Amino acid sequence: MKARDTLGYAFGAIRLRKLRSGLTTLGIVIGIAAIVALLSFTQGFQVAISGTFQEGLSTDVVTVSPGSGGFMGFGGESDFVFYENDTDIVETVDGVVISAATVSNTVTAEFELMDRMLSLTGVDFAAYEELYSTFTTELGEIPASPADGEAVIGYYLYDPWDNGTHLVELGDTINVYYSVRNGTVLEPVNLTISVVGIMEEIGSFGFGPSDTGMYITIDSALNYFDTEEVDSLAVKLESDDEDFIVAISEEIEELFLNEVSVTSATALLGTISSVLAIVELLLAGIGGISLLVAGIGIMNIMIVSLMERTREIGILKALGAKGKTVLAIFLAEASLIGLLGGIFGIGLGAFLANLFGGMMGGFGGMGGGGAPNGAESFMSITPVVTPILAIQALLFGIGVSVLFALWPAYRASKLMPVDALRSE
Amino acid sequence: MSEILQVQNATKTYMMGEIPVKALRGVSFSIKKGELVSVLGPSGSGKSTLLNLIGALDRPTDGTLIIDGTDISTLNDNQLAEKRKQVGFVFQFFNLISRLDAKANVELPLMISGISRSERKERVTDSLTKVGLAERMTHKSSELSGGERQRVAVARALVNRPAFLLMDEPTGNLDSKTAQEMMDLVVKLNEELQMTVIIVTHDQEVSARTPRTLRMRDGLIVSDEVN
Ligand SMILES: Nc1ncnc2c1ncn2[C@@H]1O[C@H](COP(=O)(O)OP(=O)(O)O)[C@@H](O)[C@H]1O
Ligand SMILES: [Mg+2]
Repeated sequence: MKARDTLGYAFGAIRLRKLRSGLTTLGIVIGIAAIVALLSFTQGFQVAISGTFQEGLSTDVVTVSPGSGGFMGFGGESDFVFYENDTDIVETVDGVVISAATVSNTVTAEFELMDRMLSLTGVDFAAYEELYSTFTTELGEIPASPADGEAVIGYYLYDPWDNGTHLVELGDTINVYYSVRNGTVLEPVNLTISVVGIMEEIGSFGFGPSDTGMYITIDSALNYFDTEEVDSLAVKLESDDEDFIVAISEEIEELFLNEVSVTSATALLGTISSVLAIVELLLAGIGGISLLVAGIGIMNIMIVSLMERTREIGILKALGAKGKTVLAIFLAEASLIGLLGGIFGIGLGAFLANLFGGMMGGFGGMGGGGAPNGAESFMSITPVVTPILAIQALLFGIGVSVLFALWPAYRASKLMPVDALRSE
Repeated sequence: MSEILQVQNATKTYMMGEIPVKALRGVSFSIKKGELVSVLGPSGSGKSTLLNLIGALDRPTDGTLIIDGTDISTLNDNQLAEKRKQVGFVFQFFNLISRLDAKANVELPLMISGISRSERKERVTDSLTKVGLAERMTHKSSELSGGERQRVAVARALVNRPAFLLMDEPTGNLDSKTAQEMMDLVVKLNEELQMTVIIVTHDQEVSARTPRTLRMRDGLIVSDEVN
């Protein structure tokens, strides 16, 4: 029997049993949709995560903050504080290249168009440049010997709407303030800032400089915030090898009598990707179970359908059909069902993934530190249904239905015509 | 004339659970090309069992069947399937596929044989014309009368240009007038196309119209006469 005739014959049989074929197909649709939705969603999630963290990530930099233990330095309680010159102590450790103290606070900046809360950070410009490759300017420059009040600002403060309407221009002078309580009234503490540099767009969040941050020298900052204490030390190591980072981190913690914790972007990234891998495995597992259920449904329906059609098989064989012809007809039926189920499943899966993605978009902007309205959110998840994923899903759908139809179809193909014809 | 079928000491034993049922107890006869033969016997005498063996739909328990020069006991399942294409079998209950129309039912053996579309079309029309059903080609078998279904079954049996035509109780499900017409058709096919035909029946009127009759009883051939 020619392949085209086999398909035609199989298609005729499917068309006649619309309801039953429809239900079988639905099983495949659900299984494939689950897998496609979950995988495309995780893939989109991964793209979002790695886009956020990996871009411009300085993998050889660790952050030392007061407090022991706790995730990312939170949770550990300690009275320990850092001072600016603690960098000298850290730099005595072998394997440390350079370190910089940072201190930052939220202040309100009075731009011409609007007031805006932002994070004002004091750093040693020269050291910070060496620490983070993302600390580099698009306009102006990072001053080698900065004067008091000279600031480098993040790109989103300059061009928040991405449309050429600038919040501030290079060379502008703006006032920033934070408030202190004086008896019953709040009094602003002012600082005049002159913008000498606008950073290149980083486009992600992580450690180090931010697109929405404003940077002045550490001395100006300590002076302005009226404090001696710094928040944390950023430390550049000689290598981003994980074992090396762990070893040096321990050494630094011991150096400060375990009153500090060291976090590294590399370790964090490792944790995130392993969590993500588990999540993906879990989701794929759920999809796999739905497909298994769908597959058993197919087998069930195939067995029932073959029992119902044993007489037809007998007729085909009596007319000279070989076992493999019968097998081909029933496997063609299963493939067609798998193909249909696969196509609808991919469509439904993509739709569902986009639905989830849209819902997750609500969390967008969490990395932006309150990016102005209209700015792109950092964490929007766009599910990715790649052509490869689609083809894989399609093949998988066909594969599952063929696999589960194989045994019943094989059994049918082995029947002697008289035996098949005797059944009613 | 050459012998197109030789049956030597064929037996068939079915197992009903533990109990063996001897449907054929050693049957021998031969049939020449162009003959019209009836096998007459009461219900349960083993006629259908015999016809199934001749049609290569089943294997004998013992004995030899030589169909068109080939001993079927030497054939494997695939070769046996190939052999069935040389046999036109008309089943007692027609065994048409009800979702297909008359044309598609007749086309099925050709499709299975892998014959091209254009040739299929020609041969289907030809075959349906022979049985006088050219007008009803596109009717579903469920829309046809018993006599018409029988004719579709005959057309399907003829379409592969078989070495012989086997009919199991061809008039069993027809009223006497339609049965008469069916027998006219069979006689015509035999006389005009020199088609070898073997008819299994329990009806004396049918066997009366065939030049040769084999009588069966309890799985044995009890007489072989020329009318
Ligand atoms: N598949 C089978 N299994 C068991 N017994 C069978 C089977 N087919 C036929 N028989 C028995 O074999 C005998 C002959 O049957 P059959 O050839 O159909 O007779 P006929 O066609 O002459 O009525 C009967 O007794 C019948 O019950
Ligand atoms: Mg019978």
